[in-house]
Amino acid sequence: MRRDLVFGTGTLAVSVIFYRMADAIPTSQLADAVGPQGLPKVYAVILSALSLILITRGLRDPGSGIGDPGGSGSRGSRIPDPGSRSFRAIGMLLIGVAYIVLAPWLGYLLSISGLVFATTYYQGGSLTRQSAVVAFCGGVFFWLLFVVMMGISQP
Amino acid sequence: MLTPGIGLAAFAGVAWGILGGALPGISPSITMALLLPFTYGMDPTLAVVLLASTYVGAEYGGSIPAILIRTPGTNAAAATVIDGYAMKEQGRAGEALGISLYSGFVGGMFGLAVLVLLAQPLSEVALAFTPTSYFALGVLGLSVIGSVSGDSLVKGLMAALLGLMISAIGTDPVTGVNRFTFGSPDLLSGIPPILVMVGLFAVGELLAQSGEPGWEKASAKEARVRFPRPAMWRRIARPQVIGSIMGTFEGIMPGGGGTISAFLAYNEARRWSPRKEEFGKGSPEGIAAPEAANNTVACTALVPMLSLGIPSSNSSAVLLGGFLIHGLIPGPMLFAKNSDVVTGLYSGLFVANIAMLILGYLIMIPCLWLVSRPKPYLMGFIYAFVMSGVYAIESSLFHVGVALLFGVIGYAMRYFKVPFLPMVLGVVLGFMVESNYRRALVLSGGNHMTFLQDPISATLLGLAVVFMIGSVMRHLAAPRGGRATASA
Repeated sequence: MRRDLVFGTGTLAVSVIFYRMADAIPTSQLADAVGPQGLPKVYAVILSALSLILITRGLRDPGSGIGDPGGSGSRGSRIPDPGSRSFRAIGMLLIGVAYIVLAPWLGYLLSISGLVFATTYYQGGSLTRQSAVVAFCGGVFFWLLFVVMMGISQP
Repeated sequence: MLTPGIGLAAFAGVAWGILGGALPGISPSITMALLLPFTYGMDPTLAVVLLASTYVGAEYGGSIPAILIRTPGTNAAAATVIDGYAMKEQGRAGEALGISLYSGFVGGMFGLAVLVLLAQPLSEVALAFTPTSYFALGVLGLSVIGSVSGDSLVKGLMAALLGLMISAIGTDPVTGVNRFTFGSPDLLSGIPPILVMVGLFAVGELLAQSGEPGWEKASAKEARVRFPRPAMWRRIARPQVIGSIMGTFEGIMPGGGGTISAFLAYNEARRWSPRKEEFGKGSPEGIAAPEAANNTVACTALVPMLSLGIPSSNSSAVLLGGFLIHGLIPGPMLFAKNSDVVTGLYSGLFVANIAMLILGYLIMIPCLWLVSRPKPYLMGFIYAFVMSGVYAIESSLFHVGVALLFGVIGYAMRYFKVPFLPMVLGVVLGFMVESNYRRALVLSGGNHMTFLQDPISATLLGLAVVFMIGSVMRHLAAPRGGRATASA
């Protein structure tokens, strides 16, 4: 399958990089016979061997292509077809990244409310006052839960 | 030792677990992983009770959508769909839910008894462990990869190796040299397993759910639970015993989960039933057996985890994460130095099984209301909960970023059909394997024969070889796509 080919290639690259990084670890005078490089190198070698097996399997049996077939996405809604699920996932990821970037500036209450609002809208919710109110109330709820009740600091 | 705090934690955990289990796509391990950062500031005993109770609640919660909308909320509830949904179609949904609840209670109590009887004696064997033996134990834990690798043993091994590589990030356990830290002080102490678990299970699931259509909703009208009458107790007693026995064996075995025992219990219950023809058409026994099995597993899976520190399923791996957060190391020292935590856990599980009976009856309607909220709102709140909880671990936005990264990895693993548990095993056991391996070699002067000369080590390594060979042979013999994975 092409997925095996892609995954195998990716892990082969990871194992090569990992091996080189392990090789670059400085030798310590306190080191034992195996050393800090020993087992990481073994892991990298075994992973590369398994990656080659998977790549071979992928080449022998191409199977279906990458990506989901076009599916029955909800027409007329802002949720696209299943074929673009990966792009949808990237959008969710970017919302999380935006939270990490903005939280130190906006503070916890505003940034977590923004996260709830953005996620709700992104997942097909409506851009209405109700959504904004629910998001803000959610932010207050989390602030009360973590900061006030649990005494756990947030950004 | 039962305290009000433990009782409250048990009730809260069960309630949360039922809610999470009732949401299709949210497995018990994800439900527990969502709570994991939240427990960071709690008392250790209450934290483990909360997590373990969540597991108990989720195993019942998974049967709710299985019965009402033909969609198992958890993998282990898949067997319940067969007769549960058939009963619902006959207008007997309340009866089906009641049988599921009662059987789960019976199975859970049975599993708790097994846990109390077996965990400590098994852990005392580990008192004789040396670094050599601990290394062999870690290898044994990793050897179950074959059982939890689903269709592809190769991918399972690769995931485990990736997990071992992740465990190597940070400070070397013997020399103190920095490894794979990219010069970042945030990585000096390595990547906490909890971030890996929350990322893979919770964040990865959120990413995967993006763009998926909303979950089918069940009507609250058909969800009034009806407890079985005494005549029904007699009828479902035998399948409950069968399920409990199946669940015990699978839960104790490293690599076991709840799915396989649920189906095995269903098959055996049908084989031994005088009313075989009713199975598949709404047989109460067809619900009682798998539900007893999967709730037994919720307790017996803790046996290898508590006594040896080897998680046998995704959920017990998350529970192990809960222990590690609080500096509790499973094994004989846990029973010696933290016996209060262990007895608190036992008490908590006892209360949790009773709480499941009570809450399963009382909160059905509010539970259905909550899980019927529009999916966009649910996703928003879950995302916020995860991000806040991860930050709470060490007040670090870097950790939140790491959890997101593992969410991406988890999403990719779903896409490439790579199993999670081997990677979790690698991350959790990697430090134990490497540090004890190297210590053993230092003590033996570099002589590798020490691993065979130590009888405990030799036995464990032998078992590991047997498990691996068995897994390889099973994979070679099975048709492609025909193997069940370990459940959540």
